[in-house]
Amino acid sequence: MIISKKKDRGKLLQTLDRYDSFYLIGCSECASLCGTGNDEALKEMAEDLKAKGKTVTGMIVPKTGCQTLGTKVELKKDKDALDKTDAIVVMSCGAGTQSAVEIYPDKAVYPSNDTMFLGNMTRFQMFDERCTLCGECVLDMTGGICPVTNCPKGLLNGPCGGTKDGNCEVSAEIKCAWVRIYERQKRLGELDKMTEILPPKDWSAKQAPHKLYTRGDAAEGDRKDKK
Amino acid sequence: MSFKDTLESGKFVVTAEVGPPKGTDIATMKHDMEILKGKLDAVNVTDNQSAVMRICSLAVCKLALEHGLEPILQMTCRDRNRIALQSDLLGASVLGIRNVLCMTGDHVSAGDHKSARPVYDIESVQLLQVVNALNNGKDMAGNDMKGATSFFQGAVVTPESNPIEPQLMKFEKKVKAGANFFQTQAIYNIDNFKEFMKFARKFPVKIMAGLVVLKSAGMANFLNNFVPGIKVPQELIDEMKAAGKEKALDTGLNITARHIRQLKEEKICDGVHIMAIGMEDKVPIILERAGLL
Repeated sequence: MIISKKKDRGKLLQTLDRYDSFYLIGCSECASLCGTGNDEALKEMAEDLKAKGKTVTGMIVPKTGCQTLGTKVELKKDKDALDKTDAIVVMSCGAGTQSAVEIYPDKAVYPSNDTMFLGNMTRFQMFDERCTLCGECVLDMTGGICPVTNCPKGLLNGPCGGTKDGNCEVSAEIKCAWVRIYERQKRLGELDKMTEILPPKDWSAKQAPHKLYTRGDAAEGDRKDKK
Repeated sequence: MSFKDTLESGKFVVTAEVGPPKGTDIATMKHDMEILKGKLDAVNVTDNQSAVMRICSLAVCKLALEHGLEPILQMTCRDRNRIALQSDLLGASVLGIRNVLCMTGDHVSAGDHKSARPVYDIESVQLLQVVNALNNGKDMAGNDMKGATSFFQGAVVTPESNPIEPQLMKFEKKVKAGANFFQTQAIYNIDNFKEFMKFARKFPVKIMAGLVVLKSAGMANFLNNFVPGIKVPQELIDEMKAAGKEKALDTGLNITARHIRQLKEEKICDGVHIMAIGMEDKVPIILERAGLL
């Protein structure tokens, strides 16, 4: 899921100070699990705005904020409240924020969160980054542990000289990705994979902005494949 | 004789390190170069070591050439993408620089520009392959170039890494990728190093033991606690302590000289790489005490 965290509330309220009324949009998916865009988070934001003398014209937690069309349909139900508002505060990820921008091209839209990474929830509201969306998966060669993400240098061919007792030079809280890969491949009897030199990555696979159409009638593939 | 020819002739080689300064005042560095001239087979020029911003390695390599020292261009993948790396390598080649040490590079979090975006477009093993390609007249994308490079390329290895197995597997990859010589991370335990050499001798590459001069017992403890891949044995720490403050540096120089002597006399490896870290002017003293001058 996409991991988001709340922006500094004081600074955010300062940024929003130029408007008088707000409509709040959360998201029932990732941002709810992160606690940044669920009912509770929206209510808390409404209180903070009211405490500053602002009006909150309405709020909604749409099913999937980044699904633009579905969110547009849900927002229609609250048309009056949205018409009345000066600005919209989106309490999900950057994608959800830009759904709102697309749906309301003439309204000011502000993010309440910083969008951090694609993460796994390991415990309640504890998130670890496992995948950087590099567009060219190497997990088949690395025992299912991603060195592009788990190694701060993204090394593809083994540990650097900075590994210390199995930990990373960047932080002792990070386990060296290549020591983990080595241990796992040893268990799996696949150490031969560690002797193969992986070629430089094709970073064009990560070239933003991506577009991918896979639907039957509109199938176009990734923009990159079309060159 | 060039560094490459000397190393390949089987002579015990000696290299040391020059760390470019931060800022444009190069008086001390030039002085060090004068002192080192004629006493080394080559001199490494570090590349923004510890991710601290300084004069670039390439410019200082050229200065070293002008001062009569053969430079080894240290090249890390931290600050440049594949275009910049290749471009700098071509630049080094036309300036007469013939040796390159391919490294991944310390992470920016270790340095003095912690908010910098680390590059790591490619890494050490792949950089070795890139140097091979350039030596064969092709760039990394397979395009033909007008004029090839003729680099003698080396790499680094950490013999005291824990666990050692993944480190050795990477060493093998570096050999496969075209490394001709290795300069190791600092070693202090010659018996451990002999074990590493038993493994390394299986490959057709030259190995130079890395030696960092101890300045005090405190420094030894610091290395053990904070620098990955370095282990100073307790008996050396005790020896430094026993020497007392006054004699600490002198004892450190003696230890390095003693290690060089043993490595050479017992033919354990092919040479040494002395990292004096700010005391480049003391390198001749070490070499004298090791019987190399």
